[in-house]
Amino acid sequence: MPEEAVLDVLGGFEERLHKFNRVLFSKAQIAQTPKETVWALNKARLYRYIPQVPAQARYRVPLLLVFAIMNRPSILDLRPGHSFVEFMVGKGYDVYLLDWGAPGYEDRHMKFDDYALEYLPRAVRKLKTIAGGEEFSMLGWCIGAILTTIYAAMRPNDGLRNLLLLTAPLDFSNRDGLTFARWTDEKYFDVDKVLAKFGNMPGEMIDYGARALKPVENYITSFCKLWDNLDDPRAVESWHAMNTWVTDTIPMAGAAYRQLIVNLYRRNELMEDRLQIGNQTVNLAQIKANLLTVIAAGDHITPPCQSEAILGKVASRDKEIYRIPGGHIGIMAGSSAHRTTWPHIAGWLDARSR
Amino acid sequence: MAETETEEKKTYDPFEPFRGMRDAYLESLSKAMTDVVNTESYAKATGAMLDCYLTASAPFREALERSMLQTMEQLSLPTRQEVAGLAERFTNVEMRLDDIDAKLEELTKEFAAMRQAAKEPASFAAGPGATHQPRRDSSQGEGARK
Repeated sequence: MPEEAVLDVLGGFEERLHKFNRVLFSKAQIAQTPKETVWALNKARLYRYIPQVPAQARYRVPLLLVFAIMNRPSILDLRPGHSFVEFMVGKGYDVYLLDWGAPGYEDRHMKFDDYALEYLPRAVRKLKTIAGGEEFSMLGWCIGAILTTIYAAMRPNDGLRNLLLLTAPLDFSNRDGLTFARWTDEKYFDVDKVLAKFGNMPGEMIDYGARALKPVENYITSFCKLWDNLDDPRAVESWHAMNTWVTDTIPMAGAAYRQLIVNLYRRNELMEDRLQIGNQTVNLAQIKANLLTVIAAGDHITPPCQSEAILGKVASRDKEIYRIPGGHIGIMAGSSAHRTTWPHIAGWLDARSR
Repeated sequence: MAETETEEKKTYDPFEPFRGMRDAYLESLSKAMTDVVNTESYAKATGAMLDCYLTASAPFREALERSMLQTMEQLSLPTRQEVAGLAERFTNVEMRLDDIDAKLEELTKEFAAMRQAAKEPASFAAGPGATHQPRRDSSQGEGARK
């Protein structure tokens, strides 16, 4: 009967719509690798992931993961079977993650100084107590790379053996190549006016800024991809997990945001050895840890030019750039990360964590 | 069999025949929009919009804040600033406690090492050249070795 055929078709379409809505408006289970909270300060939490490898088979040097302060760090542990944390724990690393938490109005005065010189050292102190050793590795991603770089330069004798910087926005000299630099120019963007109203930089505005770099991809194409692949459970699971993370926005502490815009984007003070942190000038030549810089060739948020100059500034003798195709998030959380970036990081750390 | 199962699970997509056209259109739109957002004009326009919003909302915000402040004072309730100030002080107290905790852990370790050294007098009888390595106890963590 033709009516039955039409009803079948409409029913199938309705089912597809229901599936689409369900994925769009629900949250995926992310950050599932077992962990325990070993330290807390204000909103920050230091997690230690439960080791899966026996103690005698584990690497001696623990690994601390530091993500950005305006996103949740769950991107590092996106979903079971596709998680960088799970991968490294399985390789035998003692993995810790510093979750900065979501700043409240009372945290609006927090600066990079506080993150790098108050929170990070205390977290590292706890990590060393638990791990029972003096040396550790630290991986900083995005703004986390700025904080870890500042820490490594200001506290070179804390025991940092290996420093890994992922898509690190450190060099802001090529302003023509940085869309964010154009948008936040002092001619167009009054950062003090924004912070006077909101205190902290709202997560929604930061999210808009990141999406507006590629508006069609982020506001249309992404949803078309979901619609097209609704019958592929793996594609849906992957999209769902990523969307859950992307939409979980948090604000950025006002004073830290102001430093990012004024001292870094506008004045490039870090690379020009003029950045004042804790009443001292950050001297990148103090960094002596082994250094791996991972650059995403297709990164439109942190173009490759921002992560290259650091190698010429540090005193590290063992240093390497690893360039890989992909985007800012994709190189660590994309579908091919477990074949490319993760093994390279694990391999680089292998010889340097014994 | 697997193919049939996959086909059975497939839901109907009325837009499937138009995917190619859609993707081609979106690709060209994407390139155009990426160029647009990278212009000075776009930066100027978004900056102006934001500035306009902040300027227009400022009088209302200030009036609301003044009114809220008076209301909170009359009701003897703490204002947002006062609560935020307290929270900042709590964070400072937390930091001090964390430092004290760390010092106590260090002292505990040293006491344990001294107690261990006291239990092994033979190594001291060997003379000043003898070295003594305190054993790690479980309170120092697993201290994994590879």
